[in-house]
Amino acid sequence: MSTELLTALHVSYIQNLGNSTDDLMYHLTAHLRLNAIYWGLTALCIMGHPDALDKEDVIRFVESCWDEKAGGFGAHPAHDAHIHPTLSAIQILITYDALDRLDVPRVVKFILSLQQPSGVFAGDSFGEIDTRFSYIAVNALSLLGCLDQLDKDKTVEYIKQCRNFDGGFGSTIGAESHAAQVTVCVAALTILDRLDEVDIETLAWWLAERQLPNGGLNGRPEKLEDVCYSYWVLSALSILDKVAWIDSEKLTSFILSAQDIEKGGIADRPGDMVDVFHTQFGIAGLSILGYPGLVELDPVYCMPAPIIEAKGLRKGRFRTARND
Amino acid sequence: MHGVKRVRQSAEASKIREYLALTDEVLAKKAAEDWSREALSLTTRLLQINPEFYTVWNYRRNILLQGVFPESSPADINDLLTDDLSMTTLALKMHPKVYWIWNHRRWCLENVPDGPGTDAEGDINGWRKTNWENELFVVDKMLDADSRNFHAWSYRRYVLARMPDARSETAELAYTTRKIEANFSNFSAWHQRSKLLSSLWGSGKLECSKSKEEEFELVRNAMYTDPNDQSVWIYHRWLMGTGEEKEILDREIAIIQELLDEQSDSKWCMESLVHYKRLLLQKHSSIIDVGNVTNDCRQLLRGLRELDPARRQRYEDIDVSNEGQPEMSNTIRHS
Repeated sequence: MSTELLTALHVSYIQNLGNSTDDLMYHLTAHLRLNAIYWGLTALCIMGHPDALDKEDVIRFVESCWDEKAGGFGAHPAHDAHIHPTLSAIQILITYDALDRLDVPRVVKFILSLQQPSGVFAGDSFGEIDTRFSYIAVNALSLLGCLDQLDKDKTVEYIKQCRNFDGGFGSTIGAESHAAQVTVCVAALTILDRLDEVDIETLAWWLAERQLPNGGLNGRPEKLEDVCYSYWVLSALSILDKVAWIDSEKLTSFILSAQDIEKGGIADRPGDMVDVFHTQFGIAGLSILGYPGLVELDPVYCMPAPIIEAKGLRKGRFRTARND
Repeated sequence: MHGVKRVRQSAEASKIREYLALTDEVLAKKAAEDWSREALSLTTRLLQINPEFYTVWNYRRNILLQGVFPESSPADINDLLTDDLSMTTLALKMHPKVYWIWNHRRWCLENVPDGPGTDAEGDINGWRKTNWENELFVVDKMLDADSRNFHAWSYRRYVLARMPDARSETAELAYTTRKIEANFSNFSAWHQRSKLLSSLWGSGKLECSKSKEEEFELVRNAMYTDPNDQSVWIYHRWLMGTGEEKEILDREIAIIQELLDEQSDSKWCMESLVHYKRLLLQKHSSIIDVGNVTNDCRQLLRGLRELDPARRQRYEDIDVSNEGQPEMSNTIRHS
């Protein structure tokens, strides 16, 4: 167990992810490859190592995931376009300041085509709906500077109907509040300047109650802690300016205790296998908590704050522990 | 050790080769728009190994839609979809939280053809009824295995909303009672219950005030069973709503106070007392002793700061000094 962030180990863990081709799991997760590159790259940027991957290699890989027929990105070459890897592609290209490599009008058309009459977005042409996809659409259109093409009222209308009495939001109308759904809904409303739809005091109470005695955060009442909620719960608390409502020190120790001190990477809980998803969300959580030496993360877009700042997209005032 | 590692690696290497060969074959057929039954069975094999391969689920549906269904009778189509539902039931047992498996089931259900009879014979919905009924059975089993699986709960709501022979909300309410009685901590069941009751009260199918009293009774039992379980308290807060009825506020405050007297370190008793006393201040300030209630809140908040230091800042931020002011309560009442 370590009491500090093992930055060098995590950097090399992420750098080596592409070399694990002799591990069956690497191939079984090809459907998440583009997402994984976004997670890894963002974690590297937050740790201050934005050049740790070969930029041109990564951009070429992103281009190879383009689904010409659909006009969006799949998660891997020859995989179908889906809204989630499409956002990852946009995030990676923006991080590398390479948006000129993207056919913006076609991607915007693909995203807009997924909005349903109810206002929610589908993930792809087969029509699974979820407020996650609404956030992805809002986030992507905002990053591309094309938010004016979105029917904002219709988008907000659906999200509003997913709000529950506990202040949280679910994946669809009627669904139970869940910390990850809370964050995507709150972040989407923030980008759309509609935080007035959030019952801030009730929601911040519910979010603060996600912290367990061991410092970790869970995603719903009476569930186990998991490092990824360090991001999901914290980013929402940060947007609502209520990070101080939980114990930062205990959460920091919990995240650090889930590090693999030999090979790098962060797991869902101490002692479990690490993966790039939990590595990114653990580091993202530490950044929101103001862990020394980390680059600030924008909690709305889940990208390095300087990049969002440069695009003029910073929303509200984010009070992180470092400003306290 | 080294020898063991080498054996394991070569086993892994051959598995990888096999998996990649199968993937290449399937994706090549997909690129060639091969809608044959042979391609269909290859997708079965691949999806059994990797049920998260969304592109292959898409391809499978396209094979069925473009190649197989057009040359099949409605009865055959129904059989094919029933087979896919059975195949994904097995997959769910191993991977209960894979979105793509649940999605495929929805697609299957939504594509069940009319039949076996015609509109005139009256059983045009026969196949649909059988499949959707079975679906509720499957989702029951999934929730028996993990009563908090949010995929299963979402899917349950979807099935209930769309099945041809609608199940009554009262029957579903009884289901949540069983789930809650099996485990008071199951907030997913409490949540489902809050949605059902809102609907039943709204439509007048259940008499609101009588039914609410029964809920208070249920929740009281749960509170006394485990006062530290937050599911119960969150549900209680829903039942109390915005605190318009002073008698209910007074009664519940007294009950919680009694529980707190027995369990002086119960955070949730204190937390709830602060919330309900604040509702008294905000909604009923003209008929209560504002000074007393405000002091109670302050004292409870001091206690909470000691008892629950992780959330100390929240207790400090709650400012009750102006909540009992008449202007304040008017603003809230009229907003």
